[in-house]
Amino acid sequence: MKIKKLLVAMLCVAMVGMFAACGGGSSEPAQDSSGGGDASGAITVNIWDANQQEGIQQICNDWTALGNPEVKVEVIDWDNYWTLLEAGASGGQMPDVFWCHSNTVQMYMENDLLLKLNDYIDADDTVDMSKYYEGIVKLYTRSDGNIYALPKDHDTIALLYNKAIFDQYGVEYPTDDWSWDDVYEAAKKITEASGGDVYGYALNTSNNQDGWYNFVYDYGAQVITDDHKGTTIGSDAGKAGMEMVRKILTVAAPQGVVAETGTDSLFQSGKVAMITQGSWMINSFYTAENHADYAWAMIPYGDANGNGQCDDGERWSAYNGLGWAAAASVANPDACYSLIAYLCSEEAQKKQAELGVTMAGMMGMSDAFAGAFEGMDVSAFTRVEEEGSLYFRPYTRNTTVWEDALQQAGAFLDAWQNPNDPAVMATACDNAQQIIENAIANE
Amino acid sequence: MKEKKKMTAKEKNEAMWGYLFVTPTILGLIILNFYPAIDTVIQSFCKTGDFGKGNVFVGLANYQRALADPEIWQSLLNTIKYAIIEVPFGVIIALILAVFLNKKLKGTSFFRTVFFLPMVCAPAAVAMVWKWLYNQQFGLLNNIFHTSVAWISDPKIAWVSIGIIGVWSIIGYNMVLFISGLQEIPGDYYEAAEIDGATGIRQFFDITVPLLSPTTFFIVQTRVIGALTIFDLMFMVMDKTNLALQKVESAVYVFYNYAFTQGNKGYGAAIVMILVVFIMIVTVIMQRAEKRFVFYN
Repeated sequence: MKIKKLLVAMLCVAMVGMFAACGGGSSEPAQDSSGGGDASGAITVNIWDANQQEGIQQICNDWTALGNPEVKVEVIDWDNYWTLLEAGASGGQMPDVFWCHSNTVQMYMENDLLLKLNDYIDADDTVDMSKYYEGIVKLYTRSDGNIYALPKDHDTIALLYNKAIFDQYGVEYPTDDWSWDDVYEAAKKITEASGGDVYGYALNTSNNQDGWYNFVYDYGAQVITDDHKGTTIGSDAGKAGMEMVRKILTVAAPQGVVAETGTDSLFQSGKVAMITQGSWMINSFYTAENHADYAWAMIPYGDANGNGQCDDGERWSAYNGLGWAAAASVANPDACYSLIAYLCSEEAQKKQAELGVTMAGMMGMSDAFAGAFEGMDVSAFTRVEEEGSLYFRPYTRNTTVWEDALQQAGAFLDAWQNPNDPAVMATACDNAQQIIENAIANE
Repeated sequence: MKEKKKMTAKEKNEAMWGYLFVTPTILGLIILNFYPAIDTVIQSFCKTGDFGKGNVFVGLANYQRALADPEIWQSLLNTIKYAIIEVPFGVIIALILAVFLNKKLKGTSFFRTVFFLPMVCAPAAVAMVWKWLYNQQFGLLNNIFHTSVAWISDPKIAWVSIGIIGVWSIIGYNMVLFISGLQEIPGDYYEAAEIDGATGIRQFFDITVPLLSPTTFFIVQTRVIGALTIFDLMFMVMDKTNLALQKVESAVYVFYNYAFTQGNKGYGAAIVMILVVFIMIVTVIMQRAEKRFVFYN
């Protein structure tokens, strides 16, 4: 009897042990990927862009080679990145060093979840905040002057076109002098000549920063005003910009098509002749099968005054910059700051551009980027900074709320569905004005 | 009521061991199920702060907003429409397949495997494959039939297209349950029926269907709940800018959008509580129906 009891007790202990082991087993990897540093002192870096992983890892290895801990760069795709980061922030298990984005960073800064960098920056002679793009620095500085991230990069927008399609339909290639009206004419020729098999242009409601936002600015309106408290998208200028979008949509791929396949896939399948895209996407076109046919031109201007030339303030490109931040709760803040400072140093920023990862967050460090893609001229992205104007990607405290609403029915999706009716687009602009104002009021 | 007896020492000992053995499970349930469920109820009465901090009690405000929001009602309707496709077709097709595959023929195990395979695939992978099958421009369906149907972008048919994926994914699971139910029906009934001259179809409706009703009821009940909480199909197959999204998005999809994309946990919690109440009502109705339609030997 006693032996039996002993056996049962042992079995119990074994089971509880197994249970504990299961729990431990499943939580361990989670700690690795999102926890504050492991025993070996390696630093976990989370990013969302697989295209950049290799280059970032290389730069991090340079830092490690200076006698610093090892760095693991992990990619989590955009949608899951934010879910995981928020869950991690709520549960106290954030990655050590990670990217911040204008959509959400305010929330993290306000809740003191990011490592405050001021003291480090003050003590560090090598970091000079005035060398970085102003809009990006402003984005990662809280209203009380605390700095929570250093500018990692900046991006701009350019026009991408498929030379083979232009050749096939005998249309001249886009140039840096093109206005949106020229885009319309070319797209019209291609769409009509192909009988709907190939589209001259493609633009979805979700192509905002890389698409229709730029039209709004070209014609003198703002999606979000400089104080981040309002919008002028419903103004006459805003409507004029969106009217230009509507005109192009009449000769572009129908919204149903772009919603199902995506403008990038359509372009890479040779079904679309022109799209606008951001510099962060270059690599995916550079490595595409038919990349020899692809070329970039400067983002077209909006001829708001109708004089047939690009005047000051008629060519706008959105720019945005990611920030390198660390979690406030991180175990080894000194090492994390050191890594961030290195990633944003002149040397690393230059290398980042050279490797073609992205353009630099530090001004004047991006020249090498234009030459990073052998056989593909990407200078359109840097040229627009000299010949056009840049505006920072529109954001408010909770950007996703209005940004998503603008893409859907009740806002611009209606206009995209009825490109032939100018009244629908005008109404959509009014609705957009309302949506943004309501969203800001609820923040 | 029975009189409460004092436990003997042996019974006490057994009870102690019993509790000890279920402790791990109970702990898991409390931590992973009960606590989050209660927390959701609390959150639904709050204007939630970022990162679970700074929740402010707002009473029924979230519920008032949700009940006045046509999007919520539309999403409930969409969910019901999905269930109306998935549950009956998933059950009927599975039943027919089960009856055929229950016969002692060559190759039944091969077909059983084939029909069960969708269950083994990750739902996200299934949805991705179907998304491309349905694609209007490059999809296999439109290419085979030389049509140009917007399977998942036309608000009139998108809900059916999504429902078909649901049926396809669930048939195998239902079928396996039906086969196990069929094997419990004694063969004598069929022999007797055959001697009396009943046809196969007659046997099916007068023997198989009634005697299988406990299994059928179990499947219907679990699938109704499963269908009412559908999320992954809509999420994976349909783009945010899809025109048909408003006519297809399920209640859980809307909940996900508010709670996780927009970070409004309180409102999301209220939506999910409304869904829970709805599912409870449906379940109670089904339990009532059980007494009328289900035969237990």
